[in-house]
Amino acid sequence: MLDQAFDALKTYDWGTDRSLLNPIDDAVVTTRDDAAARQDLEDRLAAVLATDVSRDAKDFVCRQLMVIGTGRSVPALAAILTNPELSHMARYALERIPAAEAGQALREALPQTEGAVKIGIIGSLGVRGDADSVAQLAALLGDSDECVACAAAFALGDIRTKDAAKSLGDVSGATPKVQAAVSDAALSCAEALLADGNKVDALAVYKRLSAQDQPKHVRVAATRGVLACAGKSD
Amino acid sequence: MGQHHQATRRDFLKTAGAALSLPYIITSTALGTQETPPASDRIVMAGIGIGNMGGGDLGAFMGRPDVQYVAVCDVRGKVRDAAKGKVDAHYQNSDCQAYNDFRELLARTDIDAVHVATPDHWHAIMVVEACRSGKDVYCQKPETRTLREGPLMIEAARRYARVVSGGSQRVLEDYRPIVDKCWGGELGTVKWINVNVGPLSQPCNLPAQECPPDMDWDLWLGPAPWAPYNSDRCDGNFGTGGGSWRSYIDYSGGGMTDWGAHHFGGATFAVDVREIQPEEIVYHDEEGQQFLEYRYPNGIVIYHNRPHTENLQVEGTPGETRPAKPVPSYKGSGGIYGDFIECVKTRERPFRDIELAVNTVALSHLGITAYTLKRSLKWDAAKQEFPGDQEANRFLDRARREPWQL
Repeated sequence: MLDQAFDALKTYDWGTDRSLLNPIDDAVVTTRDDAAARQDLEDRLAAVLATDVSRDAKDFVCRQLMVIGTGRSVPALAAILTNPELSHMARYALERIPAAEAGQALREALPQTEGAVKIGIIGSLGVRGDADSVAQLAALLGDSDECVACAAAFALGDIRTKDAAKSLGDVSGATPKVQAAVSDAALSCAEALLADGNKVDALAVYKRLSAQDQPKHVRVAATRGVLACAGKSD
Repeated sequence: MGQHHQATRRDFLKTAGAALSLPYIITSTALGTQETPPASDRIVMAGIGIGNMGGGDLGAFMGRPDVQYVAVCDVRGKVRDAAKGKVDAHYQNSDCQAYNDFRELLARTDIDAVHVATPDHWHAIMVVEACRSGKDVYCQKPETRTLREGPLMIEAARRYARVVSGGSQRVLEDYRPIVDKCWGGELGTVKWINVNVGPLSQPCNLPAQECPPDMDWDLWLGPAPWAPYNSDRCDGNFGTGGGSWRSYIDYSGGGMTDWGAHHFGGATFAVDVREIQPEEIVYHDEEGQQFLEYRYPNGIVIYHNRPHTENLQVEGTPGETRPAKPVPSYKGSGGIYGDFIECVKTRERPFRDIELAVNTVALSHLGITAYTLKRSLKWDAAKQEFPGDQEANRFLDRARREPWQL
């Protein structure tokens, strides 16, 4: 049955019979306690990505690797990560694979991409909380593509480390759109710092964002943060 | 994403003369009547996603004398134009602005609040962006599409002190008799309640069709995986068994989230666990029938599809009575819509505050994860993760299609 499903994958496309692939869905669950079978399944799926199957077939494979992928399938996913048509589904798997190799693949793809694909990779690094990417993301805060710079800011706001917070405080000359993203991300970092008991660094962020040059709703949020640092609720 | 130099509604009105790009004519409607407050005292609202549910929401908000409805947004041109026509007819002018891209609508600084009734895969991004642009939000249920989205929506609402209400009117209005029994103490100590709802959404592999010229398909898909246009893929009908976006994994959790938002909402309200989440989801498979048992830290159990059990059947302690508790209700007048508008004015938290909504829909997502993996799960509500369970943690979220982030 599984072999037949992999055969069906060769001609699978939008509009063909999805149920022919059900044995692969089943195997994803039933191989949970059989490491050898799970590894074999992962290898077979990853191998499909290098073949000339349809976009929909690769979409299907990436959804399965999201569930069972390990470092073993990262090279196959990395190979399609910079392809505009396939990048999202590569991230669909890579973003959720806990192996360190997945984060490394995303970081390595960053300088090879631009525009929407780069923004997607930046977002995935943020969702993964990839602290190793802070320096790369911080450098993108000044990117000439305003959308890339905003994406980098939001990703740093997802990562929420002390280094991420620091990088967001060093931005100058940003456009209003980028500055808004930087402020929102800095608030995310400050909230995380405060939750970790680091009132000194959190307070520094809040005081900076309380300045009159910030939009009103940012100042309100920062003022509430200052009060929280002082142990007072609003 | 939006324009972040904020101005209050009244600030906008003071400087409206300079805002030549926005039509604003001082009419009798703007000045108010005996029954209708002047425009300066009304909540300025707009709608994003204005088809089936969004159209109903539009009518409910626009019909209120304390709301001034100014803009509509939809990626379907015909739907957008029809909604604009409806608003313009109501106010007897042509002032309503129509947008294809919600970011342009959110960039307007004269809008106080928006309602969101897009397909579910868009909810979190739009709610967070609305909060970032200083707007209050009424978001249709199910408010989230993944577990990770919920805390981020709450965070945005709290960070910017926004009023964010979920959109299930049934929680209070349909299930009131069982709520009154539980809160009134006549059942004694409540032990469990059951919810019957389904099905789960399914993969979608529909063939490509020609996209209507008035539809922005890429923006309809938004953060969801790319797929070719097919009318069944994006149909807004309320079915969950195929032929509607509610049926398919990329856009919805199926009946489990769609009606689940109502039923689980009623159940959590009845047994008073709206403010917490379960710590364990026990997967049962008895004679081919799968069902779930959500165990809460306070001992309460919510079953899902327990065999031979009615929807919202509740088990108390026979022979015991407990002191009655006052039942929370809507503020203001006009049902859940009035509750939201009242809270926009007073800055209180609405009946289905986003945090309570997130707790409710989390049950659907936790259940989907358990059914998908066909096993029991532990859940750490504080950390929002399945502790030590890498396999289950992969289901907390899904990568968004570029350029969309959350």
